Amino acid sequence: MTEKPFSRRRLLQVLFAGFMIIWIVSSVNPVDRSDWFIENLLVFVLIPLLIFTYRLLPLSDATYALLFVFLVMHAAGAHYRYADVPLGYWMQETFHLSRNHFDRIVHLSFGLLLTYPASEILRRIVKLRGFWAAVLPPVLIVSLSGFFEIVESIVASVVEPDLGAMYLGIQGDVWDAQKDMALAIIGSVMPAIIAAKIKPAWREPD
Amino acid sequence: MTPSPSFSANRFLHVLLAVYALVWIITAIQPLDWPTWALENLLVVIFIGVLALTYRRFAFSNASYLLIAIYLVLHAIGAHTGYAASPAGNWLKAVFGLARNPYDRVIHCAFGLLLAYPLRELMIRTGGIRPGAASWLAICLILAVSTFFEVIEAIVAERISPGTGPAWLGAQGDEWDAQFDMGVALLGAMAAMLITCWRERAAAFHSVSS
Repeated sequence: MTEKPFSRRRLLQVLFAGFMIIWIVSSVNPVDRSDWFIENLLVFVLIPLLIFTYRLLPLSDATYALLFVFLVMHAAGAHYRYADVPLGYWMQETFHLSRNHFDRIVHLSFGLLLTYPASEILRRIVKLRGFWAAVLPPVLIVSLSGFFEIVESIVASVVEPDLGAMYLGIQGDVWDAQKDMALAIIGSVMPAIIAAKIKPAWREPD
Repeated sequence: MTPSPSFSANRFLHVLLAVYALVWIITAIQPLDWPTWALENLLVVIFIGVLALTYRRFAFSNASYLLIAIYLVLHAIGAHTGYAASPAGNWLKAVFGLARNPYDRVIHCAFGLLLAYPLRELMIRTGGIRPGAASWLAICLILAVSTFFEVIEAIVAERISPGTGPAWLGAQGDEWDAQFDMGVALLGAMAAMLITCWRERAAAFHSVSS
C-alpha cells in the first residue's frame, strides 16, 4: 500500500480536479434541477466522506480511478436525468431498444466498478481472509443496490405519490427494481469470480 | 476454532429438532397447494441438509439454532396455509385494517430479525471478523440475500404468470412489494444487531463488575 501524501499522488490530483471540472459543468443548467439535487445527494455525501477519511484510510489509485469513472457516469445521469441521457437514446435507436437504457448501464457499472473498491475498503477496515474475503465484497455491493431500490421507492412515493410505477426512474416497468438489482448482482459477482481465479493474493490480507 | 460439541451430548438440540420435526410433519399434511408446498420446502431440505452435514466441522451456538428453528417453523406454517392465505396473517389484516395479508411481510422481517445473529456468529467464528464489524456485515448479508431472493421471485413470477407483473400472488398487487420486503428484512436485521449489541455490552459490564 502506497502511503504517499495527497501532494505526491499525481494521478489522484488529476482525478480529483477532473471530477470537480466535470461535476461543475454537469451542474450548469441541468434538465431538471430538483432531480439533479436528489441524484447529487450521493455526491454530497461520498466526496466529503472520501476527503475526510483520506488521512485515516487512503485508498489505492485503482479504487479512486474506478470511483471516478462511476461518478462521471452518475454526473451525466444527474445532468440529463437518467431516462433522457443522449447516450441512452443513441443506444435505443441503434439497437432498437424499448427504452433508454442508460440507467441500466450504470446499475451494471455499480457492480463492475465498485466491487474492487468495496473489497479494498473491507480488507483495510476488517481483516478478511479466505472465503469471506471473496464473498463479502459482492455482498456489500448487492446489499447497497437493494438499499438504493428501497430508498428510490420511498423517494418516488414521497415526491410523486400518484405516479407509482410510472415514476421517472422506473419508466413504466413493473420489474424495474428487480432488473436493476439483477444487473448489480451480475456486475459484482463477475469481478469477484475473476479476481478469485486469477489473483489468489486478493483473498489474502495485506 | 473450538471443536464442535458432540451432537449426542446436546440435549437442547435434540428437543429442538424433535419439536421442529413434529411441526414439519403436521404442516406437511394436506397443505393448501402441493406444488407450492414442495417449492417452499425445497430450500428447507437443502438448508437443514447443509446444517446437518457441516455440524461436525461447524456447530452454531444453541441460541442460533433456536433462532433458525423459530424461522423455519414460521416458514413451515406459511408453506402449509399458503403465505397469502395464512390465518395468522388474516387475523393481523382484520385487527390492523390492512389491505392485504401481511404474513409474508412478517416472515421477511423475521428473516432479518432471526437469521442475522446466526450469520454474525458464522462470520465471527469462521472468518475471525471482529464482532462490531460482523454486526454490520450481517446486516449487509441479510439485505443482499433478500435482494437476491426478490430477483429470483421476479423470474419465477414471470415464468408462472407472464405479463401480470406484481398482480401475481407473491406481490398481492403491490407495486412496491419487493422494496417493502427488502425494507422489513433490513429493519429486522438492524433490530437484531442492536439487541445483540446491547446484550453483549450488558454481559461485558456484568463480567467486569462481578
